[in-house]
Amino acid sequence: MSEQQNYEPRVVAFLCKWCSSAGSDLAGVSRIQYPPNATPITVPCTGAVSPMYILSAFNKGADGVLVSGCHIGDCHYIEGNFLARRKMQLIMQLLEFIGVEPNRFRMSWVSAAEGAKFAQVITDFVDDLKPLGPQEKLKKADRI
Amino acid sequence: MINIKDIRDTARDMLAKGEVRTVIGYRRGSRGMPAEPAFITSPEQADELIWDPTCYHNLSLYLVHDRKISAHLQKNSGLPIAIVAKGCDARSIVVLMQEHYFKREDVYIIGVSCEGTGVLDERKLASHLNGVQPTLAAFDGDDYVFTTAEGEKRLPAREVMADRCLECRIPFPKEHNLVFGDDKTGRQLAEPFAALTKFEEQGNSERWDIWSHHFDRCMRCFACRSVCPMCYCDECVVDSITFPVTQQTSAAEKADRVRWIERSAMRSENITYLMTRAMHLAGRCTDCGECDRACPVNIPIRMLNNKMEREAREKFGYEPGASIGGPSLVASFLDNDPGDFIR
Ligand code: SF4
Ligand code: SF4
Ligand code: SF4
Repeated sequence: MSEQQNYEPRVVAFLCKWCSSAGSDLAGVSRIQYPPNATPITVPCTGAVSPMYILSAFNKGADGVLVSGCHIGDCHYIEGNFLARRKMQLIMQLLEFIGVEPNRFRMSWVSAAEGAKFAQVITDFVDDLKPLGPQEKLKKADRI
Repeated sequence: MINIKDIRDTARDMLAKGEVRTVIGYRRGSRGMPAEPAFITSPEQADELIWDPTCYHNLSLYLVHDRKISAHLQKNSGLPIAIVAKGCDARSIVVLMQEHYFKREDVYIIGVSCEGTGVLDERKLASHLNGVQPTLAAFDGDDYVFTTAEGEKRLPAREVMADRCLECRIPFPKEHNLVFGDDKTGRQLAEPFAALTKFEEQGNSERWDIWSHHFDRCMRCFACRSVCPMCYCDECVVDSITFPVTQQTSAAEKADRVRWIERSAMRSENITYLMTRAMHLAGRCTDCGECDRACPVNIPIRMLNNKMEREAREKFGYEPGASIGGPSLVASFLDNDPGDFIR
Protein backbone atom coordinates (compact mmCIF):
# COMPACT_ATOMS: atom_id res chain seq x y z
CA MET A 1 0.00 0.00 0.00
CA SER A 2 1.25 3.50 -0.77
CA GLU A 3 1.68 6.05 1.95
CA GLN A 4 -1.16 8.07 0.49
CA GLN A 5 -3.66 5.30 1.23
CA ASN A 6 -2.44 4.90 4.80
CA TYR A 7 -2.73 8.56 5.48
CA GLU A 8 -5.48 9.54 7.88
CA PRO A 9 -6.17 13.27 7.98
CA ARG A 10 -6.60 14.92 11.34
CA VAL A 11 -9.59 17.21 11.52
CA VAL A 12 -10.20 19.74 14.26
CA ALA A 13 -13.95 20.35 14.51
CA PHE A 14 -15.28 23.38 16.36
CA LEU A 15 -18.86 22.44 17.18
CA CYS A 16 -21.38 24.71 18.79
CA LYS A 17 -22.76 23.38 22.03
CA TRP A 18 -26.43 23.80 21.13
CA CYS A 19 -26.66 22.25 17.67
CA SER A 20 -23.70 20.58 16.01
CA SER A 21 -22.28 19.12 19.19
CA ALA A 22 -25.71 17.67 20.00
CA GLY A 23 -25.92 16.54 16.37
CA SER A 24 -22.66 14.65 16.76
CA ASP A 25 -24.05 13.00 19.91
CA LEU A 26 -27.12 11.96 17.97
CA ALA A 27 -24.92 10.42 15.27
CA GLY A 28 -23.22 8.49 18.06
CA VAL A 29 -26.31 7.23 19.87
CA SER A 30 -27.92 6.37 16.54
CA ARG A 31 -24.82 4.25 15.83
CA ILE A 32 -24.18 5.91 12.49
CA GLN A 33 -20.74 4.95 11.19
CA TYR A 34 -18.42 7.77 10.19
CA PRO A 35 -14.64 8.22 10.08
CA PRO A 36 -13.00 8.77 13.47
CA ASN A 37 -10.68 11.47 12.15
CA ALA A 38 -12.29 14.49 13.79
CA THR A 39 -11.31 15.86 17.18
CA PRO A 40 -14.37 17.76 18.41
CA ILE A 41 -13.94 20.95 20.38
CA THR A 42 -17.19 22.25 21.82
CA VAL A 43 -17.64 26.02 21.72
CA PRO A 44 -20.60 28.01 23.06
CA CYS A 45 -21.45 29.35 19.60
CA THR A 46 -19.88 29.54 16.14
CA GLY A 47 -19.87 33.28 16.73
CA ALA A 48 -17.31 32.64 19.46
CA VAL A 49 -14.87 30.99 17.05
CA SER A 50 -12.04 33.41 16.56
CA PRO A 51 -10.11 33.13 13.30
CA MET A 52 -7.14 32.73 15.63
CA TYR A 53 -8.50 29.30 16.66
CA ILE A 54 -8.46 28.19 13.06
CA LEU A 55 -4.97 29.49 12.37
CA SER A 56 -3.81 27.96 15.61
CA ALA A 57 -5.28 24.56 14.75
CA PHE A 58 -3.42 24.58 11.43
CA ASN A 59 -0.30 25.83 13.20
CA LYS A 60 -0.44 22.87 15.55
CA GLY A 61 -0.77 20.39 12.74
CA ALA A 62 -4.45 20.01 11.80
CA ASP A 63 -4.93 18.78 8.24
CA GLY A 64 -8.42 20.24 8.08
CA VAL A 65 -10.57 22.53 10.21
CA LEU A 66 -14.35 22.35 10.44
CA VAL A 67 -16.60 24.94 12.03
CA SER A 68 -20.17 23.81 12.52
CA GLY A 69 -23.17 25.33 14.24
CA CYS A 70 -26.90 25.99 14.21
CA HIS A 71 -28.76 26.81 11.02
CA ILE A 72 -29.39 30.48 10.35
CA GLY A 73 -32.37 31.51 12.47
CA ASP A 74 -31.75 28.82 15.09
CA CYS A 75 -28.86 30.38 17.00
CA HIS A 76 -29.31 30.15 20.74
CA TYR A 77 -27.83 33.62 20.99
CA ILE A 78 -30.01 34.86 18.10
CA GLU A 79 -27.26 36.29 15.93
CA GLY A 80 -24.03 34.44 16.72
CA ASN A 81 -24.06 32.41 13.53
CA PHE A 82 -24.71 35.49 11.41
CA LEU A 83 -21.52 36.98 12.81
CA ALA A 84 -19.69 33.69 12.27
CA ARG A 85 -20.81 33.54 8.66
CA ARG A 86 -19.02 36.84 7.99
CA LYS A 87 -15.86 36.08 9.91
CA MET A 88 -15.50 32.60 8.48
CA GLN A 89 -16.00 33.89 4.96
CA LEU A 90 -13.09 36.30 5.53
CA ILE A 91 -10.66 33.78 7.02
CA MET A 92 -11.59 31.26 4.33
CA GLN A 93 -10.79 33.78 1.61
CA LEU A 94 -7.53 34.74 3.26
CA LEU A 95 -6.38 31.12 3.56
CA GLU A 96 -7.15 30.53 -0.09
CA PHE A 97 -5.45 33.74 -1.05
CA ILE A 98 -2.06 32.72 0.33
CA GLY A 99 -2.40 29.36 -1.41
CA VAL A 100 -3.84 26.99 1.19
CA GLU A 101 -6.01 24.37 -0.53
CA PRO A 102 -9.67 25.47 -0.29
CA ASN A 103 -10.72 22.01 0.89
CA ARG A 104 -8.80 22.32 4.13
CA PHE A 105 -11.37 24.59 5.71
CA ARG A 106 -15.05 23.89 5.88
CA MET A 107 -18.14 25.26 7.55
CA SER A 108 -21.49 23.58 7.98
CA TRP A 109 -24.83 24.00 9.69
CA VAL A 110 -25.86 20.87 11.56
CA SER A 111 -28.81 20.96 13.95
CA ALA A 112 -29.26 18.76 17.03
CA ALA A 113 -31.67 16.60 15.01
CA GLU A 114 -29.28 16.03 12.12
CA GLY A 115 -27.10 13.14 13.28
CA ALA A 116 -27.00 11.68 9.78
CA LYS A 117 -26.00 15.01 8.29
CA PHE A 118 -23.17 15.32 10.80
CA ALA A 119 -21.83 11.91 9.81
CA GLN A 120 -22.08 12.90 6.15
CA VAL A 121 -20.24 16.20 6.69
CA ILE A 122 -17.34 14.41 8.39
CA THR A 123 -17.26 11.64 5.79
CA ASP A 124 -17.18 14.10 2.90
CA PHE A 125 -14.57 16.25 4.58
CA VAL A 126 -12.24 13.32 5.24
CA ASP A 127 -12.73 12.09 1.65
CA ASP A 128 -11.80 15.51 0.32
CA LEU A 129 -8.80 15.83 2.63
CA LYS A 130 -7.24 12.46 1.83
CA PRO A 131 -5.97 13.35 -1.66
CA LEU A 132 -4.38 16.54 -0.31
CA GLY A 133 -2.00 14.70 2.01
CA PRO A 134 -0.65 16.15 5.25
CA GLN A 135 -0.95 19.87 5.81
CA GLU A 136 2.57 21.29 6.03
CA LYS A 137 2.09 24.88 4.98
CA LEU A 138 0.92 26.41 8.22
CA LYS A 139 2.27 23.73 10.52
CA LYS A 140 4.91 24.71 13.02
CA ALA A 141 8.21 23.03 12.20
CA ASP A 142 9.62 20.65 14.79
CA ARG A 143 12.01 22.36 17.12
CA ILE A 144 15.44 22.87 15.70
CA MET B 1 -3.36 73.13 -6.12
CA ILE B 2 -2.64 73.45 -2.44
CA ASN B 3 -0.78 76.52 -1.28
CA ILE B 4 1.36 75.64 1.71
CA LYS B 5 0.90 79.19 2.97
CA ASP B 6 -2.74 78.36 3.74
CA ILE B 7 -1.77 75.41 5.93
CA ARG B 8 0.89 77.45 7.73
CA ASP B 9 -1.49 80.37 8.29
CA THR B 10 -4.12 78.03 9.70
CA ALA B 11 -1.64 76.42 12.08
CA ARG B 12 -0.19 79.74 13.20
CA ASP B 13 -3.60 81.23 13.75
CA MET B 14 -4.99 78.30 15.72
CA LEU B 15 -1.94 78.10 17.98
CA ALA B 16 -1.90 81.87 18.56
CA LYS B 17 -5.56 81.82 19.56
CA GLY B 18 -4.97 78.83 21.81
CA GLU B 19 -7.57 76.72 20.03
CA VAL B 20 -5.36 73.67 19.70
CA ARG B 21 -2.55 72.14 21.69
CA THR B 22 -0.40 70.98 18.80
CA VAL B 23 -0.54 70.89 15.05
CA ILE B 24 0.70 67.59 13.67
CA GLY B 25 1.94 68.00 10.12
CA TYR B 26 4.98 67.49 7.93
CA ARG B 27 8.31 69.29 7.76
CA ARG B 28 11.62 68.94 5.91
CA GLY B 29 13.38 65.83 7.05
CA SER B 30 17.00 65.42 7.95
CA ARG B 31 17.52 62.65 5.39
CA GLY B 32 17.40 64.69 2.20
CA MET B 33 14.19 64.67 0.23
CA PRO B 34 11.65 62.83 2.41
CA ALA B 35 9.42 64.81 4.74
CA GLU B 36 9.09 63.85 8.37
CA PRO B 37 6.32 64.25 10.93
CA ALA B 38 6.31 67.60 12.70
CA PHE B 39 4.74 68.54 16.01
CA ILE B 40 4.15 72.26 15.94
CA THR B 41 3.38 73.77 19.33
CA SER B 42 4.08 77.48 18.91
CA PRO B 43 2.93 79.97 16.22
CA GLU B 44 6.55 80.75 15.25
CA GLN B 45 7.15 77.16 14.21
CA ALA B 46 4.25 77.15 11.77
CA ASP B 47 6.50 78.11 8.86
CA GLU B 48 8.26 74.76 9.16
CA LEU B 49 5.21 73.01 7.75
CA ILE B 50 5.43 71.62 4.23
CA TRP B 51 3.26 69.68 1.80
CA ASP B 52 4.90 67.67 -0.97
CA PRO B 53 4.81 64.19 -2.56
CA THR B 54 6.93 62.72 0.23
CA CYS B 55 4.26 63.40 2.88
CA TYR B 56 3.27 59.76 2.81
CA HIS B 57 3.12 59.16 6.58
CA ASN B 58 -0.23 58.52 8.18
CA LEU B 59 -0.03 60.96 11.07
CA SER B 60 -3.10 59.64 12.84
CA LEU B 61 -0.68 57.23 14.51
CA TYR B 62 0.38 60.14 16.72
CA LEU B 63 -3.19 60.77 17.87
CA VAL B 64 -3.07 57.20 19.17
CA HIS B 65 0.29 57.84 20.84
CA ASP B 66 -1.09 60.97 22.44
CA ARG B 67 -4.02 59.04 23.90
CA LYS B 68 -1.69 56.41 25.27
CA ILE B 69 0.58 58.98 26.86
CA SER B 70 -2.29 60.85 28.51
CA ALA B 71 -3.75 57.58 29.77
CA HIS B 72 -0.38 56.70 31.22
CA LEU B 73 0.00 60.07 32.91
CA GLN B 74 -3.66 59.90 33.97
CA LYS B 75 -4.09 63.39 32.62
CA ASN B 76 -6.96 64.85 30.68
CA SER B 77 -5.47 66.06 27.45
CA GLY B 78 -7.56 69.25 27.33
CA LEU B 79 -7.38 71.19 24.07
CA PRO B 80 -7.79 69.33 20.78
CA ILE B 81 -4.95 68.43 18.46
CA ALA B 82 -4.95 69.63 14.87
CA ILE B 83 -3.70 67.21 12.27
CA VAL B 84 -2.91 67.38 8.59
CA ALA B 85 -4.68 64.43 6.98
CA LYS B 86 -4.92 63.03 3.47
CA GLY B 87 -7.96 61.03 2.38
CA CYS B 88 -6.75 57.68 3.67
CA ASP B 89 -5.43 59.27 6.89
CA ALA B 90 -8.76 60.96 7.55
CA ARG B 91 -10.49 57.62 7.07
CA SER B 92 -8.15 56.12 9.69
CA ILE B 93 -9.18 58.88 12.06
CA VAL B 94 -12.82 58.06 11.34
CA VAL B 95 -12.20 54.39 12.19
CA LEU B 96 -10.51 55.39 15.45
CA MET B 97 -13.52 57.52 16.38
CA GLN B 98 -15.91 54.77 15.28
CA GLU B 99 -14.09 52.56 17.80
CA HIS B 100 -14.39 55.30 20.45
CA TYR B 101 -10.63 55.68 20.70
CA PHE B 102 -11.15 59.42 20.97
CA LYS B 103 -13.96 61.87 20.35
CA ARG B 104 -14.62 64.05 17.35
CA GLU B 105 -14.02 67.21 19.38
CA ASP B 106 -10.58 65.96 20.43
CA VAL B 107 -9.25 66.42 16.93
CA TYR B 108 -9.28 69.18 14.38
CA ILE B 109 -8.78 67.73 10.92
CA ILE B 110 -6.92 69.93 8.44
CA GLY B 111 -7.71 67.93 5.33
CA VAL B 112 -5.50 67.94 2.27
CA SER B 113 -6.81 66.62 -1.03
CA CYS B 114 -4.50 64.49 -3.15
CA GLU B 115 -6.25 66.02 -6.15
CA GLY B 116 -5.05 64.43 -9.38
CA THR B 117 -2.11 62.69 -7.79
CA GLY B 118 -1.14 60.98 -4.53
CA VAL B 119 2.09 60.36 -2.72
CA LEU B 120 5.44 59.08 -3.89
CA ASP B 121 6.68 55.50 -3.70
CA GLU B 122 10.43 55.90 -3.17
CA ARG B 123 11.08 52.36 -4.36
CA LYS B 124 9.55 53.18 -7.71
CA LEU B 125 11.44 56.46 -7.93
CA ALA B 126 14.83 54.78 -7.49
CA SER B 127 14.49 53.06 -10.86
CA HIS B 128 13.72 56.33 -12.63
CA LEU B 129 16.57 58.52 -11.46
CA ASN B 130 19.60 56.36 -12.37
CA GLY B 131 21.25 56.75 -8.99
CA VAL B 132 20.88 60.52 -8.77
CA GLN B 133 19.78 61.59 -5.30
CA PRO B 134 16.93 64.08 -5.32
CA THR B 135 16.94 66.69 -2.58
CA LEU B 136 13.43 68.02 -2.98
CA ALA B 137 10.12 66.88 -4.44
CA ALA B 138 7.19 69.07 -5.38
CA PHE B 139 3.69 68.72 -6.82
CA ASP B 140 3.03 70.34 -10.16
CA GLY B 141 -0.30 69.49 -11.71
CA ASP B 142 -0.14 65.83 -12.73
CA ASP B 143 3.64 65.76 -12.40
CA TYR B 144 6.17 65.57 -9.64
CA VAL B 145 9.21 67.80 -9.95
CA PHE B 146 12.44 66.64 -8.31
CA THR B 147 15.41 68.84 -7.55
CA THR B 148 18.70 67.00 -8.00
CA ALA B 149 22.37 67.95 -8.19
CA GLU B 150 22.02 67.62 -11.97
CA GLY B 151 19.13 70.02 -12.15
CA GLU B 152 15.38 69.65 -12.18
CA LYS B 153 13.74 66.40 -13.18
CA ARG B 154 10.06 66.17 -14.01
CA LEU B 155 8.17 62.89 -13.98
CA PRO B 156 4.49 62.12 -14.53
CA ALA B 157 3.22 61.38 -11.01
CA ARG B 158 1.50 58.17 -12.07
CA GLU B 159 4.85 56.58 -12.91
CA VAL B 160 6.24 56.91 -9.40
CA MET B 161 3.11 57.08 -7.27
CA ALA B 162 2.35 54.46 -4.65
CA ASP B 163 0.09 51.70 -5.99
CA ARG B 164 -2.53 52.50 -3.41
CA CYS B 165 -2.75 56.06 -4.69
CA LEU B 166 -3.14 54.91 -8.28
CA GLU B 167 -5.97 52.67 -7.13
CA CYS B 168 -7.44 55.15 -4.64
CA ARG B 169 -11.18 55.61 -5.01
CA ILE B 170 -11.55 58.67 -2.78
CA PRO B 171 -8.39 60.81 -2.78
CA PHE B 172 -10.14 63.34 -0.56
CA PRO B 173 -10.63 63.59 3.23
CA LYS B 174 -14.42 63.66 3.49
CA GLU B 175 -14.28 64.04 7.25
CA HIS B 176 -12.58 67.36 7.97
CA ASN B 177 -12.89 70.63 9.81
CA LEU B 178 -11.14 72.46 7.05
CA VAL B 179 -9.91 71.22 3.71
CA PHE B 180 -7.42 72.41 1.12
CA GLY B 181 -7.36 71.36 -2.52
CA ASP B 182 -10.13 70.26 -4.86
CA ASP B 183 -12.13 67.10 -4.44
CA LYS B 184 -11.16 64.92 -7.40
CA THR B 185 -13.12 61.86 -6.30
CA GLY B 186 -13.87 59.88 -9.40
CA ARG B 187 -10.49 60.44 -11.04
CA GLN B 188 -9.33 57.01 -12.03
CA LEU B 189 -5.63 56.38 -12.53
CA ALA B 190 -5.88 52.60 -12.20
CA GLU B 191 -8.64 50.10 -11.57
CA PRO B 192 -9.35 49.72 -7.85
CA PHE B 193 -7.56 46.59 -6.58
CA ALA B 194 -5.57 46.39 -9.85
CA ALA B 195 -2.39 44.97 -8.27
CA LEU B 196 -4.43 42.47 -6.26
CA THR B 197 -6.42 41.31 -9.28
CA LYS B 198 -3.22 40.74 -11.22
CA PHE B 199 -1.75 38.70 -8.38
CA GLU B 200 -4.89 36.62 -8.01
CA GLU B 201 -4.83 35.54 -11.62
CA GLN B 202 -2.17 33.04 -10.59
CA GLY B 203 -3.06 29.57 -9.39
CA ASN B 204 -3.11 28.31 -5.83
CA SER B 205 0.35 26.77 -5.88
CA GLU B 206 1.98 29.78 -7.56
CA ARG B 207 0.43 32.02 -4.94
CA TRP B 208 1.75 29.77 -2.20
CA ASP B 209 5.26 29.78 -3.74
CA ILE B 210 5.30 33.55 -3.69
CA TRP B 211 3.79 33.98 -0.25
CA SER B 212 5.92 31.30 1.40
CA HIS B 213 9.05 33.15 0.27
CA HIS B 214 7.67 36.38 1.65
CA PHE B 215 6.76 34.72 4.92
CA ASP B 216 10.25 33.25 5.18
CA ARG B 217 11.75 36.73 5.02
CA CYS B 218 9.72 38.29 7.79
CA MET B 219 11.92 38.82 10.84
CA ARG B 220 9.14 39.88 13.19
CA CYS B 221 10.53 43.33 13.75
CA PHE B 222 6.88 44.42 14.15
CA ALA B 223 7.54 47.62 12.22
CA CYS B 224 4.28 47.01 10.34
CA ARG B 225 2.40 46.87 13.61
CA SER B 226 4.20 49.86 15.15
CA VAL B 227 3.46 52.15 12.22
CA CYS B 228 -0.22 51.24 11.91
CA PRO B 229 -2.70 53.54 13.65
CA MET B 230 -5.16 50.65 13.84
CA CYS B 231 -2.74 48.41 15.73
CA TYR B 232 -3.31 50.22 18.99
CA CYS B 233 -3.92 47.31 21.39
CA ASP B 234 -1.77 47.45 24.49
CA GLU B 235 -1.85 43.70 24.65
CA CYS B 236 -1.22 42.10 21.28
CA VAL B 237 -2.47 38.56 20.90
CA VAL B 238 0.44 37.50 18.72
CA ASP B 239 3.17 38.82 20.95
CA SER B 240 3.47 37.48 24.48
CA ILE B 241 5.94 40.19 25.44
CA THR B 242 3.17 42.79 25.42
CA PHE B 243 1.09 40.97 28.04
CA PRO B 244 0.97 43.29 31.03
CA VAL B 245 2.87 42.14 34.05
CA THR B 246 2.52 43.89 37.38
CA GLN B 247 3.87 43.07 40.80
CA GLN B 248 0.63 41.24 41.46
CA THR B 249 1.00 38.90 38.49
CA SER B 250 1.82 35.49 39.87
CA ALA B 251 4.19 33.04 38.24
CA ALA B 252 1.25 30.70 37.63
CA GLU B 253 -0.69 33.42 35.84
CA LYS B 254 2.28 34.16 33.62
CA ALA B 255 2.73 30.50 32.80
CA ASP B 256 -0.97 29.94 32.10
CA ARG B 257 -1.36 32.65 29.53
CA VAL B 258 -2.34 31.35 26.15
CA ARG B 259 0.54 31.86 23.79
CA TRP B 260 -1.11 31.42 20.42
CA ILE B 261 2.12 31.67 18.52
CA GLU B 262 5.83 31.78 19.21
CA ARG B 263 7.80 34.97 18.93
CA SER B 264 10.56 33.30 16.93
CA ALA B 265 10.70 34.26 13.27
CA MET B 266 9.85 30.89 11.74
CA ARG B 267 7.74 30.66 8.64
CA SER B 268 4.73 29.09 10.35
CA GLU B 269 4.75 31.69 13.11
CA ASN B 270 5.24 34.55 10.65
CA ILE B 271 2.26 33.34 8.66
CA THR B 272 0.11 33.17 11.73
CA TYR B 273 1.23 36.64 12.72
CA LEU B 274 0.57 38.26 9.36
CA MET B 275 -2.71 36.41 8.80
CA THR B 276 -3.96 37.32 12.28
CA ARG B 277 -3.00 40.90 11.66
CA ALA B 278 -4.85 40.93 8.34
CA MET B 279 -7.95 39.52 10.06
CA HIS B 280 -7.76 42.09 12.83
CA LEU B 281 -7.52 44.88 10.26
CA ALA B 282 -10.39 43.69 8.10
CA GLY B 283 -12.85 46.56 7.83
CA ARG B 284 -10.45 48.85 9.70
CA CYS B 285 -7.47 49.22 7.41
CA THR B 286 -7.91 52.25 5.21
CA ASP B 287 -5.06 51.36 2.88
CA CYS B 288 -2.77 54.15 3.99
CA GLY B 289 0.11 51.93 2.92
CA GLU B 290 2.31 52.61 5.92
CA CYS B 291 2.89 48.96 6.87
CA ASP B 292 4.02 48.15 3.38
CA ARG B 293 6.36 51.13 3.32
CA ALA B 294 7.81 50.42 6.75
CA CYS B 295 8.63 46.76 6.14
CA PRO B 296 12.42 46.52 5.88
CA VAL B 297 12.29 43.35 3.79
CA ASN B 298 9.63 44.43 1.29
CA ILE B 299 6.87 42.03 2.23
CA PRO B 300 3.76 43.13 0.31
CA ILE B 301 1.63 43.34 3.45
CA ARG B 302 -0.71 45.70 1.71
CA MET B 303 -1.87 42.86 -0.50
CA LEU B 304 -3.25 40.90 2.48
CA ASN B 305 -5.13 43.90 3.79
CA ASN B 306 -6.27 44.78 0.32
CA LYS B 307 -7.68 41.30 -0.12
CA MET B 308 -9.74 41.70 3.05
CA GLU B 309 -10.87 45.14 1.92
CA ARG B 310 -12.09 43.79 -1.37
CA GLU B 311 -13.90 40.84 0.20
CA ALA B 312 -15.61 43.20 2.63
CA ARG B 313 -16.63 45.48 -0.19
CA GLU B 314 -17.79 42.88 -2.63
CA LYS B 315 -19.43 40.42 -0.25
CA PHE B 316 -20.77 42.71 2.44
CA GLY B 317 -20.83 46.15 0.81
CA TYR B 318 -18.57 47.43 3.56
CA GLU B 319 -16.37 50.50 3.19
CA PRO B 320 -13.81 51.15 5.96
CA GLY B 321 -13.72 54.62 7.44
CA ALA B 322 -16.97 55.69 5.79
CA SER B 323 -18.79 56.99 8.86
CA ILE B 324 -18.11 57.58 12.52
CA GLY B 325 -21.43 56.17 13.67
CA GLY B 326 -21.45 53.21 11.30
CA PRO B 327 -21.23 49.55 12.36
CA SER B 328 -17.91 47.71 12.34
CA LEU B 329 -17.37 44.98 9.75
CA VAL B 330 -17.11 41.95 12.01
CA ALA B 331 -19.52 43.11 14.71
CA SER B 332 -22.39 43.48 12.26
CA PHE B 333 -24.09 41.42 9.57
CA LEU B 334 -26.78 41.55 6.95
CA ASP B 335 -29.51 38.95 6.64
CA ASN B 336 -28.43 38.29 3.08
CA ASP B 337 -24.68 37.99 3.65
CA PRO B 338 -23.45 35.23 1.31
CA GLY B 339 -23.53 31.79 2.89
CA ASP B 340 -23.34 29.48 -0.10
CA PHE B 341 -19.94 28.19 1.02
CA ILE B 342 -21.57 26.63 4.08
CA ARG B 343 -22.68 23.02 3.74
S1 SF4 C 1 -4.34 56.51 -0.91
FE1 SF4 C 1 -5.65 58.12 -1.78
S2 SF4 C 1 -6.00 59.55 -0.11
FE2 SF4 C 1 -4.26 58.26 0.47
S3 SF4 C 1 -2.44 59.40 -0.17
FE3 SF4 C 1 -2.97 58.04 -1.85
S4 SF4 C 1 -4.32 59.25 -3.21
FE4 SF4 C 1 -4.21 60.29 -1.23
S1 SF4 D 1 -2.70 47.92 7.94
FE1 SF4 D 1 -1.17 49.16 6.86
S2 SF4 D 1 -2.32 50.22 5.25
FE2 SF4 D 1 -3.80 49.46 6.76
S3 SF4 D 1 -4.14 51.14 8.19
FE3 SF4 D 1 -2.50 49.87 9.04
S4 SF4 D 1 -0.58 50.77 8.29
FE4 SF4 D 1 -2.27 51.59 7.04
S1 SF4 E 1 6.18 41.89 7.81
FE1 SF4 E 1 8.00 43.20 7.59
S2 SF4 E 1 7.60 44.93 9.00
FE2 SF4 E 1 6.19 43.29 9.57
S3 SF4 E 1 7.25 42.14 11.20
FE3 SF4 E 1 7.72 41.11 9.25
S4 SF4 E 1 9.65 42.02 8.58
FE4 SF4 E 1 8.81 43.39 10.14
